[in-house]
Amino acid sequence: MTFILRRISTTNSGREIARDTALDGDRLTLGRAAENGIQIEDLAVNPLHATISSADGRSVHIAAEDGLGFDLNGRSATVADVDSQSGGELRFGSHRLTIGREGDAIILTAQRIGELSEAAKDRDEARSFSLQGTVFGGKRLGAWAFAALVLLAFLVGPIWAFRSYQGVDERPEGFHADSAWSSGALSKGHAKLKDDCQSCHVQAFVAVRDSACVACHDDSHGFDHADVPTARLLAAQAPPGRGERVLASFAESFNKPKGRCVACHTEHEGAGAMPPTPQQFCSTCHEGMAARLGTAGLKTALGDAGDFGASHPQFKPRVMIAPGAKPAYARISFDARPADLSGLKFPHDVHLKAGGGVARMAMSLSGQYRFESAAGGKGLQCGDCHVATPDGVRFQPVDMEKQCAMCHSLTFEEIGGTRRTLRHGEPAQVIADLSAYYRSTPPARPIELGGMARRRPGQFAEGAVYNIYFREVAVRPTRASDAVAAVFSKGGACYDCHTIFAPASGNDWRVMKVHQADRYFTKGWFTHNKHDTFKCTDCHDASGSRAASDLLVPDVKNCRTCHVGESGQTDPAIQVVRNPTVSSCAMCHEYHADGSAPWEPKVRRTDVRDITALPPSSLYIASFRQVGDKSWHRAGGG
Amino acid sequence: MASLFKRGGARKTAAQTERVREKLHEGFLRHANFRWLKIAVALCLIVIVTYALVDVSPRHNGGSWLGYTLGTIGALLILWLTLLGYRKRRMTRNFWSLKAWTSAHVYLGLSLVIIGTWHTGFQLGWNVHTLAWALMMLVIVSGIYGVTVYAMLPAALSNNREEMTQMQMLEAIRAFDRQLHEAGQPLPPADAAAVKLSLDQDPFAGGLLRRISGAYPGCATAAARRVIAAGSGGDAGARAKVETLLDSKVAALGRLRRHLRLRALLEIWLYVHVPMTFALIAALAAHIVSVFFYW
Repeated sequence: MTFILRRISTTNSGREIARDTALDGDRLTLGRAAENGIQIEDLAVNPLHATISSADGRSVHIAAEDGLGFDLNGRSATVADVDSQSGGELRFGSHRLTIGREGDAIILTAQRIGELSEAAKDRDEARSFSLQGTVFGGKRLGAWAFAALVLLAFLVGPIWAFRSYQGVDERPEGFHADSAWSSGALSKGHAKLKDDCQSCHVQAFVAVRDSACVACHDDSHGFDHADVPTARLLAAQAPPGRGERVLASFAESFNKPKGRCVACHTEHEGAGAMPPTPQQFCSTCHEGMAARLGTAGLKTALGDAGDFGASHPQFKPRVMIAPGAKPAYARISFDARPADLSGLKFPHDVHLKAGGGVARMAMSLSGQYRFESAAGGKGLQCGDCHVATPDGVRFQPVDMEKQCAMCHSLTFEEIGGTRRTLRHGEPAQVIADLSAYYRSTPPARPIELGGMARRRPGQFAEGAVYNIYFREVAVRPTRASDAVAAVFSKGGACYDCHTIFAPASGNDWRVMKVHQADRYFTKGWFTHNKHDTFKCTDCHDASGSRAASDLLVPDVKNCRTCHVGESGQTDPAIQVVRNPTVSSCAMCHEYHADGSAPWEPKVRRTDVRDITALPPSSLYIASFRQVGDKSWHRAGGG
Repeated sequence: MASLFKRGGARKTAAQTERVREKLHEGFLRHANFRWLKIAVALCLIVIVTYALVDVSPRHNGGSWLGYTLGTIGALLILWLTLLGYRKRRMTRNFWSLKAWTSAHVYLGLSLVIIGTWHTGFQLGWNVHTLAWALMMLVIVSGIYGVTVYAMLPAALSNNREEMTQMQMLEAIRAFDRQLHEAGQPLPPADAAAVKLSLDQDPFAGGLLRRISGAYPGCATAAARRVIAAGSGGDAGARAKVETLLDSKVAALGRLRRHLRLRALLEIWLYVHVPMTFALIAALAAHIVSVFFYW
């Protein structure tokens, strides 16, 4: 009985070499140890791994020793019988043992399959030594995957969202992919539109148009820059810098028209309220605007305005240039010394004088009308006659019945403690009342003629008294016209304050209608209640005014003593307080001018103490004349 | 004649300078006496000064003329920087040397921090625009890491190799494996199994973490070394021989692993730099389209 062991080894060049060894006997041992009939140099094989025997020289019996089995035709086994004729393949560790038959001999072919070690395997140097294969996907897959992901989420998604809601009035709330395109939070007023991009971005690749703004903002103001033709607005603008010009040509070629609402009302600049309008916002157009508009063939009545402290035109108050029932108004610059012809005669100086008849009368009436200053002998104050409007912005017109009549009584008769007064504002009624008075009331009856009073004893000039009395009774009604004339003539109650038209061509006595201006600065905003730390006379030189036509409203120089523009420049001819209030255009002017107060930010920007610690008013007003007098600074303890 | 000599002299000097440069091995960072560093610094200064001088209302943003200018420069720069990947695969004598190109890539890439950030007007948020900026910064930061390791690690790599090639390092391990297999034959089964595990373990196995950290707690060779040292029985001579061989294999593996770690550190940034560059270009495309879409 012979087993032939055929060892197959592979040369470096890959050629197989077979060496046969005949092994005698019916039983062979297989293992790693050298004593074995079949030595398998394989650490996965036990020193004595298995026994191979054949009882009949045909069938081969394989039995594993010591627990570790082997594979037979791919299945693990510990004992196996293999017919050498049909053959079989055994596996021990990394070795293959094939059973076969050649003639009478059983051929056992042993061959190492697989490498000795993992390290011995053939390797691609570039791949093994680099990170290739250790990072999932590698660089290339990663690059494409990330790029695709980004495009999907940030390009396809948003466009999809836009397409889905095109033509829809309002998007449902919730996440929409195109919100990823928002370049910044919307302002407070537009915050609720943050998920509805299409409320403004109506069409793809079309810049936001004014129609989108007007869709919600349809309220019209009074005069409004927004109503000015775009061409005019653009002509007014200061010529842009080189960079701006490049941007403008770029914008134009990309279908982004100029002069849209959004050119100024920029959005996506962060949440929050509207910021205070910077001076530059106005001055880019209004500084040197007249010349620019002139070049463009357009005209303007507006003066050029830049920084308030340095380049602001003189104020042009709206004054009455012709009084009467239908007064004529005009805006005249202070430089032209305008007069305000209200139709009234009123000397402020007489009324404000500390001594004199007015002060004495006011003192006697101080208990009745609470003339505080007058009670101390200092005469009347502004507030005794001028009453602020409820909002504190302006002053109510002076009312004859309430204010003037405190002293200027129109009483003409007293009956049982009740005073009869002439009807103010109705000259015809005055004439009628006076005529009726003279007609219905006889002169006081003399005692001698049987009056109720006690008589003197004796007959004293009875006839003379009789004649005088009854003549008076007879002519009394005709005296009315004298009285009426007296009231309307110099020295009369009406004449003192009013312009009177004497009867002529069928007209009776007439009084010129009086109008009191409620607002002189119609293009700018001024509020008295923000200036309540001042005395009236700080700005209004009333005590020196002898005529009602004197315009007692301060001009730009007066304002400039406390207010400067953003640049802080001052007029060298004006003495400015130490910490003047920085005032941009928007403090007094409103872009969408509707006659109401300009919007202002909540925070007050300047400490007002230095402003309220003003020089004495006499010096202050005199400062228009005495330029350079800074004595009050030292006097004020500053 | 004099002029001829003069010209010849100049050429000679130029050639000498070139030779000196080659001798000093002027890297891409020092290329042409820091030419691109100077250009990049000048570019950044121009951007910063212009930004400070230009008055944009209400505040700086990407939509002002300066914003668009910076954005355009930035986008074109990003595309050009990406072309390095294409340029380095092409052998050419034209279009600058690869060294000049790389030098410009590094310094102009760094200047993008200023150009890109100043383009934003420092208005960042959770949107595609800031995504593009963030990806750009990620690419730049990974690039800075790359330049740093390129400057620092090759020396360590060289020291570790001790003039061996990579394949020689692997061949050493293979040799120890063969010897171990031979010497381990007389060992009892338990010990032989431990040695077998050492042979069967792939020296390149272990994920990214193993490569980067260089720590292999599951090293079968180190484990086999412990088993052999602790075990007894069998052929004492064979055991001692196996022990020595395992020591040698541990050392060889250590060298290979240090090598792999350094190479991993040298390469890992590219796995951020390259994919993020493509993500950046995608985000940039979305950013630009979005700006014009919601114009």
